Amino acid sequence: MNQISCRVPLIDGVEKVTGALRFTADMNLDGLLHCGLLFSPRAHARVAYVNAHAALAVEGVRAVFWHENTPAHHYNSSIWFAGQDALKDERMFAPVARHIGDRVAAVVADTEEIARHAARLIAVEYVDLPPIFAPEAALTHAGHALREDDIPTFRNPVADEVFIHGNPEAGFAAADLIVEARITTPRSHHCAIETHACIARPEPDGRILVLSPCQSVFAVQAVVAQALNLPQEKIRVMKTPIGGSFGGKAEPILDPLCAFFALTLRRPVVIRYNRHETFTATRTRSSVTGRMRIGLSSDGRILARDTETLVDVGAYCTGGNYLPSSMLQRLVRLYDVPAERYRGRAVYTNTTPSGAFRGYGSPQIHTVAEITLDIAARRLRMDPVILRLRNLVGPGAIEPLQGLDVGNARGRDCLMRGAAAFDWSARWQIGTGAGRWRRGVGVAAATHINGCYPGFHEETTATLRLLPRGRAELVCALHDLGCGADTTLAQIAGETLGLRACDIVIVPADTDTCPYDLGTRASRMTYICGEAIRRAGTVLAAAIRTAAGLELNAEAGDLRLAAGAACRPDGSGLTLAELAGRLFARGADLPAATETYRAQANPGSYAAHFAEVEVDTLTGRVRVTDYLAVHDVGRAINPMLVEGQIHGGIQIGVGYALYEDVAIDPLTGRMRGDSFSRYTLANASVMPPMRVLLIEEGEPTGPFGAKAVGEIATIPVAAAVVNAVNNALGTELTHLPVTPERVLAAMNL
Amino acid sequence: MKVSLTVNGSAIETEILPLLRLSGFLRDVLGLTGLKEGCCEGECGACTVLLDQKPVNSCLMLAFQAQGHEILTIEGLGKADITGLQQAFLDVGAVQCGYCTPGMVLAAEGLLRANPCPDEGEIRHGLAGNICRCTGFETIVQAVFSESAVRQGMGR
Repeated sequence: MNQISCRVPLIDGVEKVTGALRFTADMNLDGLLHCGLLFSPRAHARVAYVNAHAALAVEGVRAVFWHENTPAHHYNSSIWFAGQDALKDERMFAPVARHIGDRVAAVVADTEEIARHAARLIAVEYVDLPPIFAPEAALTHAGHALREDDIPTFRNPVADEVFIHGNPEAGFAAADLIVEARITTPRSHHCAIETHACIARPEPDGRILVLSPCQSVFAVQAVVAQALNLPQEKIRVMKTPIGGSFGGKAEPILDPLCAFFALTLRRPVVIRYNRHETFTATRTRSSVTGRMRIGLSSDGRILARDTETLVDVGAYCTGGNYLPSSMLQRLVRLYDVPAERYRGRAVYTNTTPSGAFRGYGSPQIHTVAEITLDIAARRLRMDPVILRLRNLVGPGAIEPLQGLDVGNARGRDCLMRGAAAFDWSARWQIGTGAGRWRRGVGVAAATHINGCYPGFHEETTATLRLLPRGRAELVCALHDLGCGADTTLAQIAGETLGLRACDIVIVPADTDTCPYDLGTRASRMTYICGEAIRRAGTVLAAAIRTAAGLELNAEAGDLRLAAGAACRPDGSGLTLAELAGRLFARGADLPAATETYRAQANPGSYAAHFAEVEVDTLTGRVRVTDYLAVHDVGRAINPMLVEGQIHGGIQIGVGYALYEDVAIDPLTGRMRGDSFSRYTLANASVMPPMRVLLIEEGEPTGPFGAKAVGEIATIPVAAAVVNAVNNALGTELTHLPVTPERVLAAMNL
Repeated sequence: MKVSLTVNGSAIETEILPLLRLSGFLRDVLGLTGLKEGCCEGECGACTVLLDQKPVNSCLMLAFQAQGHEILTIEGLGKADITGLQQAFLDVGAVQCGYCTPGMVLAAEGLLRANPCPDEGEIRHGLAGNICRCTGFETIVQAVFSESAVRQGMGR
């Protein structure tokens, strides 16, 4: 192993650390036009009249667009490929604004300053419609006829998922203890430091080129095609560097508009959202209200569980109809629950739409489940680590929903190793201390998926080819969101070829040159794309050995690829640069290999997190003072990057537990947390020191044994922190985030 | 109005609009796009530059306020090669998406110039105005610590 398990620095790190890397907002194309958008100040209103005269009169303004002069095709911005079944309820500019921040009009002008100025001069007459903000109220709301064709677009619920396994009634009847909790999780925002941006440029051949910091160029292509009603081949999408996404850039929000403006005006166009627009007019994590009832035996075995979830998807469906079933899929993989009932519903409200966000339902459902389980442990007066160990699934378990094997599931190892390293049994105790500052510890477990199998067409194609200078080119529609996927996957390719990660030249994702891939989502990069790349690398290595064998007059099977060379057992041989040079000079093809990998499994990744908090009982402020994360990753291809994913996941999770909430006002529908000054993120001074332990027992179906880590890193955090607060105070806080006001209110109960 | 200042060692004298932000001047007029903008209200620190050796949010300053001052952006930090601090960021994995990185590196540089031997608390406090959404700050703190040790002659 020369690359696997190595702490290889990012292969694109130098450009990042010097600021030389050009993000979308840094690109300047000849003749580039700029946009300023006008957003609805009303939560639900018909856009009765748009007067653009004053805006058009501004010097430098090229056009003003709104619902009457833009395509009326309905689309769904969450689709991943053409023809995907999804509720098409979004338009570039809707005749009915459905939330504060919904797009009403756009000005395209010579500069952003002019465009933004002119956008403020557009006069709009709104006719208010009754809004719905509370998901509970939305449940009983039959729907409005909002479209011209009178088809109700507000049909609630947009999803109603029911699942029953075993005999829940019998399980509850046999239980010694039944606990019930109602947990609410907040609507949080991705807060990637790069705000949303997109560039579109008309091409000489009549096509449109979209430059997008995205998670899948093919998803962008499909959405733009649907919104503009154009054939897919008219649209070329190239991925630009991405300054963080976390799911926030999974859906092409600006791309359809940008493409349409550029095609119409025959000029390249850029749209750049500012921070406020990124908060109010993109996507959030859906808020969830969960009611969970768990029946347990006195020795801590879960006998039955009954869960109801209500998901607020916001003003547009996007992928929100999948959320109740996604949450169920992750819920049933953690504990061996003999009897389960689940009902998950999703509803529209007149609020900013929700969408993908790191974990896609997993943080919500595991927060609900792990806080409820902790309450059960307290009522049983049982150590919560032991309670979890009694119920966790082990290797080879078959989950009851899809009948999938969870693979080499090492959740127990995570809990046991973590409890020892955290000195859990010495630090955990029932009963609160005295004095102003109280300390407590909390634990939470979690699981997550590895890719989309069996739900979607879970396969990918990787091509590796030897380059003339002895490096190798990798084509696999890759989108590194900043997690280091490119580096990790280059390590996998390098390992198979005896090259270093920095010798692998990655072709950026481009719909014209790359085979279809689902994109960076669902924790699938290392596990799915990595396996396709490993297979392509193995085939290419064999071809290189054959070619080198002919050059060296040696048996291919006797040659070994290492340190950029093909070597005989005695160490002599030739470098891949020499080999490529000879083949090239002779006009022979350089070896290449293409492999398509179709997933056959979807094992679980597992984790256990341990948090210590200090609560100031005078102010209600909570501070996380110590943190340990233990992750079952199969094998860490790059331990440094794996730890980095976990560290970042904890930051998002600590915020989810304590601070982060866009806080939709229940009376007006206005987002209160709509800027960094009104939406608190955990910064360097409040983040605790973090320790990470990796369980590397190997997943047989993963490349070199690897499993996913990106999303699961953030999943157990909020529950671990809230459980620690409840341990410190003897409370049963269940509404997140656990703000000082909520802490004080719970203490005074 | 006219402004004269030094940017990355070069003296600049130019005509500007009075309400032009320093961040806009550096990015749009001088083309120094290593400087990133994340919020334009001084909360995220992505646009951090050094003004006379001290970190400032360039989005909260107007360009004319830099009259007579010396500005250092990420482009001016390493002349030919990356600096030890930047290398430390790479070596410990303190860079992920890279968007906050230029501002973070400059905030760290400013911190180390003012306090060559900070403890962990001082590093965390010194970087409190710079938001990173990827790393949880753990490795960033490590990178600054490690560079401070190198500057103290204690090796890496």
